Amino acid sequence: MPFQAETVEASMSLAKAGAGIGAGIVAIGAGLGISRIGAAANESIARQPEATGDIRGSSIILAAFIEGVSLFAVVVTLLIAIG
Amino acid sequence: MRIALAILVIAAACFANLKFSPHHTGNSVFETLYMHLMPAPLVTDNHAPHDEQELLLAVPLPGFLSFMDIGGHEGDHGAEAHPQTALFNLQIFQVAAVLLVLVCFSGVPRYLRTGKGDQLTRLFAGFCMWVRDEMVYPVMGAKDGTRFLPFFLSMFFFILFMNLMGLVPGSATPTASIFVTLALAAVTLFSMVAGGMISQGPIKFWLNLVPHVPLPLWPLLFVVEVLGLFVKPFALTIRLFANMSGGHMVVLSFMGLIFFFPTLWGTAGGWAASPLGAGFATFIMIIEVFVAMVQAFIFTQLSVIFIHQSIHPEH
Repeated sequence: MPFQAETVEASMSLAKAGAGIGAGIVAIGAGLGISRIGAAANESIARQPEATGDIRGSSIILAAFIEGVSLFAVVVTLLIAIG
Repeated sequence: MRIALAILVIAAACFANLKFSPHHTGNSVFETLYMHLMPAPLVTDNHAPHDEQELLLAVPLPGFLSFMDIGGHEGDHGAEAHPQTALFNLQIFQVAAVLLVLVCFSGVPRYLRTGKGDQLTRLFAGFCMWVRDEMVYPVMGAKDGTRFLPFFLSMFFFILFMNLMGLVPGSATPTASIFVTLALAAVTLFSMVAGGMISQGPIKFWLNLVPHVPLPLWPLLFVVEVLGLFVKPFALTIRLFANMSGGHMVVLSFMGLIFFFPTLWGTAGGWAASPLGAGFATFIMIIEVFVAMVQAFIFTQLSVIFIHQSIHPEH
């Protein structure tokens, strides 16, 4: 059944394309989220320079949360691409 | 003296890794390179073909642990293979990280009492103070912080040393394996549950998970909160694993480009690609040093926050 083999192959390459597109969307989302944190952190540091240390610490932690969610997505795309 | 000892530990770990890890061959250059990210069981002769290699140290497992079998080792007797696990190259570096912690911190208590110590001791005493004053005490307060500080110190420096040693040439990164980070996060989960059950009482801890809500909502929120209890350490697992292996994968991809272009355009393509590949790989390595430290910080800081939340509910 050559037809079936071709279909499976085509669907695999579609899945890989989907994984690539998904990774790109993840990058967009994580970039937007982290840039909002960075913008807000810089604004608040400019407004209140004496709180620089606290603001930097908490912004790193908040960025880590966003990173965690986006890495979930990356792992899913990786599983699609490998599997 | 301590500096020389620390360098000796790192060098010995890298040497042992190079000597006992099997050599990899994949179908393409990228596959071969990516195989270096996988944990590899240690073998006695790393130049032998793959199916002739003998494990350096195989540990037989009892039947109920047979899911941990590493596979690919049917016995000569033709009988059913006994489940076994082996010493992996990651374990070399975990042991080395523990030894490094011992070397770097053996002089710290004396330094803090008397003010005498060599450079390495002074450096890590400052690190200890920083972990205490910037990470643990602001969140947990002095009373609980003192109780949990040894745990967080050992966690922070264990992860930090594993991350940083993974950047040394000829080494492997234990934290780039999801099994290692899962085990580390399981320690955090255990501390969350056990600490919460000790400080609030075994039943009250589970009841306190849910904030004050109308009664019909309670079962639903209980499920969500219990799920959240397990998602938090799982997110720690994925974050550390993906950050460490992602950086390595990018470096290996740039390295792979150098070997990939000669297959397209001949030797000239390889020469043209090598400065680009090496330059970008160097740039990524610099970022990776930063990432290695930040990830150790984040793992520990989030553990501090999670454990604090579960021993002190918000209401």
